[in-house]
Amino acid sequence: MDYALQQLLNALAFGAEYSLVALGLAVVFSIMGLVNFAHGEIIGVSAYSVFLAAALGLTSPFVAVLLAVGMAALAAVVFERVAFRPVRYAPTTTGLLTAFGVSIVVQNLFMLLISPKPQSVSVLNGLNQMWFFGPFAVSSLQVMELIVSGLTILALVLFLNRSTLGLAIRAASRDFATVRLMGIKANRVIATAFAISGALAGIAAVFILARRGSVSPDLGFGLVLKAFVACVIGGFGSLPGAAVGGMLLGFIEVGLLVALPQEYAGFRDALTYAIIVALLVYRPEGLLGQRVELGDKEI
Amino acid sequence: MAGSELSQAVEQMAAPAGATQSGNALLRSLIGGLVTALPVLVIGLLVLNFAPTYYTFLALGAFVNLIVVVGLQVFMGNSNIANLGHSAFVGLGAYGVAILSTPLAMKKLSIPNAPFGFATLELDPVSAALIALLVVGIVALVSGKVISRLSGVAATIVSLALLIIVHSVFLNWTDLFKGNQAFFGIPKVVGLPWMLVFAVLAIVAARLFKDSRWGLQLRASAQSPQAAAALGIDAKKLRLMSWVLSALICGLAGVLYAYFAGTISPKLFYFQMIFNTLAMLILGGMATVTGAVTGVIVLSIGLEFIRSIESGVSVAGIQMPQLLGLSGVALGVVIVLCMAFRPSGISGRHELDELVSLLFRRNAR
Repeated sequence: MDYALQQLLNALAFGAEYSLVALGLAVVFSIMGLVNFAHGEIIGVSAYSVFLAAALGLTSPFVAVLLAVGMAALAAVVFERVAFRPVRYAPTTTGLLTAFGVSIVVQNLFMLLISPKPQSVSVLNGLNQMWFFGPFAVSSLQVMELIVSGLTILALVLFLNRSTLGLAIRAASRDFATVRLMGIKANRVIATAFAISGALAGIAAVFILARRGSVSPDLGFGLVLKAFVACVIGGFGSLPGAAVGGMLLGFIEVGLLVALPQEYAGFRDALTYAIIVALLVYRPEGLLGQRVELGDKEI
Repeated sequence: MAGSELSQAVEQMAAPAGATQSGNALLRSLIGGLVTALPVLVIGLLVLNFAPTYYTFLALGAFVNLIVVVGLQVFMGNSNIANLGHSAFVGLGAYGVAILSTPLAMKKLSIPNAPFGFATLELDPVSAALIALLVVGIVALVSGKVISRLSGVAATIVSLALLIIVHSVFLNWTDLFKGNQAFFGIPKVVGLPWMLVFAVLAIVAARLFKDSRWGLQLRASAQSPQAAAALGIDAKKLRLMSWVLSALICGLAGVLYAYFAGTISPKLFYFQMIFNTLAMLILGGMATVTGAVTGVIVLSIGLEFIRSIESGVSVAGIQMPQLLGLSGVALGVVIVLCMAFRPSGISGRHELDELVSLLFRRNAR
């Protein structure tokens, strides 16, 4: 029983992390159709700024968390301003390739300016402890991950439903031209979407740092690939789809971890992706995605 | 030329071409392909006759990249869907011939426990290559069935998933693929002349596909899916077709790489190769085969220059430090700048032979 509960918590915590990152991707995609491959490098910027701050002597975990989230949001907005604005009205493939290019540049800049090797960051290690509830031992990090992700998603939903800017963002995902006709500045909507997406990535970065205790240039890349897959199973551009897809991915991974014998553990990623591709055979538009006729924006 | 694929497809479908007309078109596109391949041929022959061994080795690597980029163009250029998984097929081709054609004495050292009797199998290089390509074709057909059904973005992500699946199998099925270690002892049977022949063949094949009825229809459906569907174009079938052809060309590049290098390892066929070849295709222009060729030539030379700086040069007697990551930054910057300022790449929308004939027509006027 203990084991089953532990694995359930594992799955929920992994799933929560994937959901956070996938939501960040979906927010941006739903508005401007940008497949943001550089999302992982936003996580990277966030983690490296914690590393640099720690190197300069700022070792308070509280400051580190604020810094991680703030820098991630800032990085996302800067990426948009510098790289994605010129291709805003270009076809999806152009945006995707631009983002891929940004991701390569930033990853290699970490390598060039800091080091190709992983660097240790111990500021946030305090978040990762064992808590004992009677007979159960749980990782504090996983519990926090679950609670914080839940609260973040709740805050996002409230923002999107209750504020004018949130309403504008939701409307922009349906018909951007009309939103602009209503006198809302396109740049503001898009910058806000990027800031939200960055902040979500920053929260994920905090958990990654607390778990790994180190930074490396490809820190966020692998995670974002998984988040993309989560978006695809959920239905690309759908926010609930991203959250559900992330959770599903967490459960598939932990399920395989439990089910696979030790000597096949290396095949976990391959099998996870294979299962998801198989799912797509039956639902090419994703679980919560709708079949959109191209050229017909209103769903 | 711009935006005219659809109307061309309409014309072609409305008036079924007579035998002579389609024969002419075939001839023109064949000649076009050969013209496009001409610079490659010239460079290849120059290197073959005059260059020192080190440059021959570099040129062989560049030719492998050329074939990969041409293969990538077949899918990306015609369907306008980004493919980020093509190096999986390069890897499959390379490992296919490595497993099939490595001499038994070498296999005893490297993969003594290979399943299915592969440890005691040694084929001649040609049949090994054919079987490897068959395997690539089958994998491409199965993955293509999924990818051709998806919309653009989802297809790209699934192509990435394919890359990760294949890479993870290479790494973890150690009995067959030797895992993270280098697979050595593959017979080195391919030199520059063969490489040149296959590079030209790949370029011509890509051009023939692009100009064929299927290529034209696929480009039309990439431009306007609904209009193409209304004309009765089966975009899924065409995407599958170009995906498989693209994979076979990439697989061929892998086979050739294994046969010239003699040693391969999984990391060669992972993201680094994707970055390099994608940047080459984008820089050259993915709409045309000429673009693929141009991008490879320009970026191969550029990258070699950057790599020499990266490993630390001495300028005026001062030793510069190693700058790891510089070539990566350059590749990424090339992609970002190209996308922002010239999304159609250096060569734009015209093939080399079309440019030449345009030039002559202008002079004649």
